[in-house]
Amino acid sequence: MTDQAAVIDRIPADTGWSELRRFFKTQTVGAVSLTVILLFILVAVAAPLIAPYDPISQDRASFLTGPGGAHLLGTDDLGRDMLSRIMHGAQISLYVGTLTVVLSLVIGSIIGVGAGYIGGAVDATLQGIIDAVMSIPPLILALFVASLLGPSITNVIFALSVLTVPRFARMARGEMQRIKSEDFVNASVALGAGRIRVMVRHGLPNMLPSLIVISSLGYGQVIVAEAALSFLGIGTPPPEPSWGLMLSQGTTYFQTAPWLVVFPGIAISLAVLAFNLFGDALRDFLDPKLVR
Amino acid sequence: MLQVIVRRLVYGFLILNIMTVFLFLVIRLIPGDPVRVQLADAAVSQERIDELTAQLGLDKPLWEQLGSWYAGAVRGDFGMSFSTGRPVGSVIAERLTLTIELTILAVVVAVLLGIFVGVISAVRRNSLLDNVLRVGAVIGLSVPNFWLGLLMITFTSTVLQWVPPLSYRGLLEDPVQNLTQMLLPAVALGVALAASVARLSRSSMLEVLGSDFIRTHRAKGVSERAVMFRHGLRNSLIPVLTLIGIQIGGLLGGTVILEQIFALPGLGRTVFEAVNNRDYPLLQVCVLLYGAIFILVNLAVDVSYGWVNPRMRKAD
Repeated sequence: MTDQAAVIDRIPADTGWSELRRFFKTQTVGAVSLTVILLFILVAVAAPLIAPYDPISQDRASFLTGPGGAHLLGTDDLGRDMLSRIMHGAQISLYVGTLTVVLSLVIGSIIGVGAGYIGGAVDATLQGIIDAVMSIPPLILALFVASLLGPSITNVIFALSVLTVPRFARMARGEMQRIKSEDFVNASVALGAGRIRVMVRHGLPNMLPSLIVISSLGYGQVIVAEAALSFLGIGTPPPEPSWGLMLSQGTTYFQTAPWLVVFPGIAISLAVLAFNLFGDALRDFLDPKLVR
Repeated sequence: MLQVIVRRLVYGFLILNIMTVFLFLVIRLIPGDPVRVQLADAAVSQERIDELTAQLGLDKPLWEQLGSWYAGAVRGDFGMSFSTGRPVGSVIAERLTLTIELTILAVVVAVLLGIFVGVISAVRRNSLLDNVLRVGAVIGLSVPNFWLGLLMITFTSTVLQWVPPLSYRGLLEDPVQNLTQMLLPAVALGVALAASVARLSRSSMLEVLGSDFIRTHRAKGVSERAVMFRHGLRNSLIPVLTLIGIQIGGLLGGTVILEQIFALPGLGRTVFEAVNNRDYPLLQVCVLLYGAIFILVNLAVDVSYGWVNPRMRKAD
């Protein structure tokens, strides 16, 4: 038994790098969107170094200047440089997106795996709660929770997690139910594997691909939701340069300074597009059955 | 079929009740007392705070508060709105129709546009037009609806020198003005759904067109147009219906922000105002109502399966 396990261990598994190479070869759109995502992360992390101006300091002398010249994407009504603000805005989107997705991934899969494994009344109750929470339109639920908590970046993360956790939990629950009845799990139980082992060693690794896919798709939705909340004034508080907040400040001047509305929107759309396309490509890549 | 409808109605009702309890608990368990928050800016004495708390019943145990809320709700009394001082029910009644109209218009725009684009894509598959439309659909999926709304207003006001009329008129009051006001927000709201409808109807149409019964129809000499529309399109509608049920949540959420941008006094606007005024009795009922609309739309989707596909009428 142990000998066999040792032999199996020695079979060269697909390494991360070879998988990545295969992804780049087979999924052109996915590769491009992954590059955009990496670029987005790079800009966000390096924003303080590469942004031409301070995103918050005001320059009353050059307010509402159009794109081009010293300010590549123009300035807003307080003379703040739009390019620098968009770069720093990426930081907020990245921060909120990453923390929300990681938090929901952890909490959602714990709830989902538990419910899927235990089944019965616990599962039925949880299913009811998940259905109820998911029947509230996402933005409405986020507004509701965010308004109770008050505007701050941490509260935005909490509010957005309330809407993403049920989605992760539902996915993990379905996967756990499927995995639970697989032959290899029955074999493992027959050999004496306990509950925790089945859930952690068999459940989680086998549902990882699905969880990664919904993480990527969810990331895009979280970015939009953060922008929407900030746009409504219930998300990231000013003077932080959140993309949604920039859009809402731009609405006052859209007739005279359309660039205030155009550029932050492009940033949001591009980031969301990249995460959506990457998620789609990842799904095709991880589930070969779907490829025609 | 009737059995399915009844079962779904019962489950929907159950879900709505879980939602009620969930919202009720979230409001009361999250730190931040509604009365204190509401009175935060005014210098108010402790007695006044106690008085208001008692008036709103917030000093009673949770289960008693929930009980009295239900007791009122079954009589159509949803409590008083903090900010307007009027019954929640009457505040909402004035504003619900606008949001329902906006949602219906957006779904109609999405389905017509989406199916039109999807069918063209499927019929001309792998052509330049198909590729352009497919890229357009992917972009349409990722563009936030509120940005689209802002762009539309920016475009019409700067390039076309036209701004939608500001004071809102009801559909029955003044149909022409009402529709000119609703058109832009409905399109902005519907684009994302249109994009996914286009993607889905393209692929399901291609799938149906590749199936055996279509080949049989072609072989017996049915015209290409009839094959496409009577057989191809009709059979690819089912997944589109499912999609509407799934995506209606995102669309309903979008009404909050678009009603704000286009100055429309609907339910979404009410949610926004209730949030800003910390008007929890009003907010709670608005959120519940959105949940109810979501559940009803999904019920309607389930029922309409039977209408599109006669086989499902017999199934349990």
